[in-house]
Amino acid sequence: MSLLDEIEPMKAEALAELSAAPDQQALERAKGAWIGPKGKFTGLMKQLGSLSKEERPLAGKAINQAKGELEQALLAARERIEMAASVPTEPTDFTAPGRCRRLGRLHPLTQVTEDIVKSFRKLGFVVADGPEVEDEYHCFDALNTPADHPARDAQDTFYLDQPDRPLLRTHTSSVQIRVMKEQSPPVRIIVPGRVYRRDTADATHNPTFQQVEGLYVDKGVTVGDLKGTVEFVFRELMGPKTQIRFRPHYFSYTEPSFEIDFANSLTKKMGKDWLEIAGCGMVHPAVFEEVGYDPEVWTGWAFGFGIERIAMLRYGINDIRLFYENDVRFLEQF
Amino acid sequence: MKVTYNWLKEYVDFDWSPEELAERLTMLGVEVEGVETCAGAFEGIVVGQVIVKEQHPNADRLTLCKVNDGEEERQIVCGATNFEVGDKVALALPGTSMPVEEGEKPFVLKAGKIRGEKSEGMMCSGRELRLSDDHEGILILEENAVVGQSFGEHRGLGGGDTVYDLEVTPNRPDLNGVIGLAREIAALTGNALRKPDVKLAESDDAVENLVDVRIEDAGLCPRYNARVIREVKIGPSPDWLRERLERVGLRPINNVVDATNFVMMETGQPLHAFDLRLLDAAGGKPTVVIRRAANGEKFTTLDEQEHELTAENLLIADEGKGIALAGVMGGLNTEIQPDTQDVLLECAYFNPTNIRATSKATRLHTDASYRFERGADIGITDWASQRAAQLILETAGGELAAGAVDAFPEKPESREVMLRHDKVNALLGIELSPEQNTAYLEGLEISHAGDGVFRIPSWRVDLKRETDLIEEVCRLHGVDRIPATPPRGALGDNSFDTVHDELAEARAILTGLGLNEAQGQTLISGESARLTTPEVIALEHPLSSDMDVLRASLLPGLLDSLRNNVTRRNDDVGLFEIGRVFKPGEGEHRRLAILMTGLVEPAFWGDRDGQKVSMADLTGVLEGFLERFGVFGVGVERRSDATDFFLESAELRLGKQEIGELGQLQPALGRGCECRQPVFLAELDMDLLLQRRTRTKSFKALPQFPSIVRDVAMVVPESTTHAKVLGVVKKAKPANLVDLRLFDVFRGGNVPAGQKSVAYTFTYRHGEKTLTDEEVNGAHEELVETLREQLSAVIRDT
Repeated sequence: MSLLDEIEPMKAEALAELSAAPDQQALERAKGAWIGPKGKFTGLMKQLGSLSKEERPLAGKAINQAKGELEQALLAARERIEMAASVPTEPTDFTAPGRCRRLGRLHPLTQVTEDIVKSFRKLGFVVADGPEVEDEYHCFDALNTPADHPARDAQDTFYLDQPDRPLLRTHTSSVQIRVMKEQSPPVRIIVPGRVYRRDTADATHNPTFQQVEGLYVDKGVTVGDLKGTVEFVFRELMGPKTQIRFRPHYFSYTEPSFEIDFANSLTKKMGKDWLEIAGCGMVHPAVFEEVGYDPEVWTGWAFGFGIERIAMLRYGINDIRLFYENDVRFLEQF
Repeated sequence: MKVTYNWLKEYVDFDWSPEELAERLTMLGVEVEGVETCAGAFEGIVVGQVIVKEQHPNADRLTLCKVNDGEEERQIVCGATNFEVGDKVALALPGTSMPVEEGEKPFVLKAGKIRGEKSEGMMCSGRELRLSDDHEGILILEENAVVGQSFGEHRGLGGGDTVYDLEVTPNRPDLNGVIGLAREIAALTGNALRKPDVKLAESDDAVENLVDVRIEDAGLCPRYNARVIREVKIGPSPDWLRERLERVGLRPINNVVDATNFVMMETGQPLHAFDLRLLDAAGGKPTVVIRRAANGEKFTTLDEQEHELTAENLLIADEGKGIALAGVMGGLNTEIQPDTQDVLLECAYFNPTNIRATSKATRLHTDASYRFERGADIGITDWASQRAAQLILETAGGELAAGAVDAFPEKPESREVMLRHDKVNALLGIELSPEQNTAYLEGLEISHAGDGVFRIPSWRVDLKRETDLIEEVCRLHGVDRIPATPPRGALGDNSFDTVHDELAEARAILTGLGLNEAQGQTLISGESARLTTPEVIALEHPLSSDMDVLRASLLPGLLDSLRNNVTRRNDDVGLFEIGRVFKPGEGEHRRLAILMTGLVEPAFWGDRDGQKVSMADLTGVLEGFLERFGVFGVGVERRSDATDFFLESAELRLGKQEIGELGQLQPALGRGCECRQPVFLAELDMDLLLQRRTRTKSFKALPQFPSIVRDVAMVVPESTTHAKVLGVVKKAKPANLVDLRLFDVFRGGNVPAGQKSVAYTFTYRHGEKTLTDEEVNGAHEELVETLREQLSAVIRDT
């Protein structure tokens, strides 16, 4: 039989083997057997020398053509096997828990603070800051709270065992004084920060807690302005249907002074008509005099509230100590 | 301060319900903290009159009666027979909760049938009313008893009432008395304030003959008023007085003491009664001396506590001994006895600051000291004394000596405050007329002296300047009637504003790196604070030893949080905190601290063991954070030795500045937190990071041409750090090298001990053309040669 006649059946046999290869390994074996360096077609090429001059170009062409076809078939088989391999061997359980990179959370108090800051910033307020270790002047005296004033006792204060007896600020209002002493009016600031009172820790008290103070000083600022801003901020924070009520109260550094109550679906759920949320008032002229503002020209209001309280109300948290324990199961809920 | 609805009604008319009154008081600035309704004694029991008395048709021992309850006749079946038609009786109506002994179950009377006859109530025996042990028959009342009147009223009791617990702000001592509160209501309603009429029948004896008063320190006691009532009969107070005091939380003692307490609650002015015979009368009559105590002077108060006094304490004394701690508590040696006959009645004004100091020093906080330290009404002294004398005469009898010794050396001038009406409108943001403002103030007895000047009554110690008057107008007008004005445009300005955002940015990056934000206590225990530094700031009077110093580092707080987690079986903890620390002499600084332990990622079913946190996870987080936050060039310097806190640690440096540290916690400290896994911690100076961060970002064109990579594996001594390799490469500056990456570290096998095999991938790229292998090979081979020489590296075949 002529070599030329062998080509066609060999090609058919090789094609069948390639297309039947069940996996990559079998395919590689088949490739080696037919078109590898020791393969049968490579062998045929080596036999070309034994052919007559007339037959040689014909046979060479036929062998190359067949080899080309086999290469094509090899590629096709490879693709077929790869595609088959990507098919899941078992049906996927789409309900199995996914794999996810850990993403941390902001502390709930940080989140509430940021929300408060955002709503104030809409009104042109900027954030200010001051030291937590304060002196009596900034914390009390400049805020119109004389040494023997009963209000000063009500805020039981931590003094430090240091020269000059510095203290831990009992409210963020001390920053009012620092800012007003540094900049001339108008002033529009909010001051979030830690404050300290000598309360034994329980479900509603922690010696360390956080407040936000707002201060606005300008010409012609009125109680009406105070109400307008407070209503805006609390509706932003506690929902648009939140009702706000002002009650006369007493703080030494504001006059008139008010306490602010709110009511919304949350207070209803708690079975209360009103819930106290903040204190505020018109800056006392004595405070203005202390920082060198002329109370005949400038008026202003200040208000302050506890951040934990807002967070506790908003999320329904019943124990203030949770904020400072940093249990990750707590932190990851917010 | 407690007050009742009915008590207020005695001084002013108002037609508000008890709930409305609470709301009104609250809106006036007197917050109602609690409301309690108390049933009147004998509620549901009325005075009835027997109209018909017959034999019960079905029972020999029962009578069938008709009793008039004031409105109608009721049929009552009764077991007693000790009464006649026409007798007045105590008739309990159906629904009445019968009086019971403490601890007994309440018994509610019902209408029903007894032996076939209906019975609509019960005629009560003394025992059933808990008035006596008599249960032989029903109680027969006096002939003049009024049919239909409640039995409580019949006995002189007030009936049901509502008790309010009020939060009186410290600036308003005048509201610590019922009359002061009634004055507020009078101002709000426009109705008149009815102060009780005081008319005293005095004997012929002048009080000056019975007692003398000598004030030695008029600064501490500007006014002292004494009256004497002789021949009183000490005994229990009448029911109405006992009931009043009990309702506002005071314990009845005896008629004289109760009268003084009643007047204190009524007027806000504390009074004290002495047994006159117990005062030293060596000079013929006793002299009340108001003096400073001697240093070290011992004095025993009514509560049988002995106090050692100083010259800072004001003492009421006779010529020989102290008899009362002024304004705080009376003395045991002169208190009213069951057989007291002559009463010395003290009514005074004491300096608030001094009373406050004495109350604090002696730890005696009494109803009296509470009122004096907030400021009593110096103008009411004599009137309050008369009022108390009147009540003592009414309840304990006796004779009142004529007049009073009223030592009042310097009468203070009444204060005047100017009010400009346009200022009211400017501050409140509403339009009120001058007449309106004046009317509001006059309602509070702040009288207009003309030309906008107002005269402040003696009880309003809080009204000092214009703005105080504006507040009064605001309260009476009602803050709820001031319309809210929308926020107005103006821009705030403060340098901290951007810092706030930068800190928020840092937090956002750290949460993105998989850490939860923690907020630790500022106050921690000295013991844990000293884990990181010997220098801490202590509190002067800490609440407890676990909160006695200011944190000087955030790390001890993170260990506390670690303990909170591990003891609750949260073993995988990744936390960060940005907070302030405090160091003596250095003030406050912001720091960033990180703690990581347990698994890197949440446990996953496809990889059951998970990957445990290693130092590389911490350094990875730090690198990621610093890069994203814009702090470049941070160097790490390993500390050669362990510290008390860290098993192994390194300093973080930025140039010459130390900006923080990181390390692995000493396992013993980890165990202290119940944590058995390695714990990795870092702490950085946040203020420095804020200073040193670069926030400018600029675009670099994306690479256009392909890169060529070459891998090098080499064996180097253990001491050769990654930083060292980087240093050599950086110095060699191979042409077109754009990146190198450590991809393997291998120890053991054929790598000799004390050495390690490190493998790097070097990436070469040209910005403007495609590099050829030949171009790269030259530079790369040169680099490999440099590494071999400078790192004593043995290059391995790759």
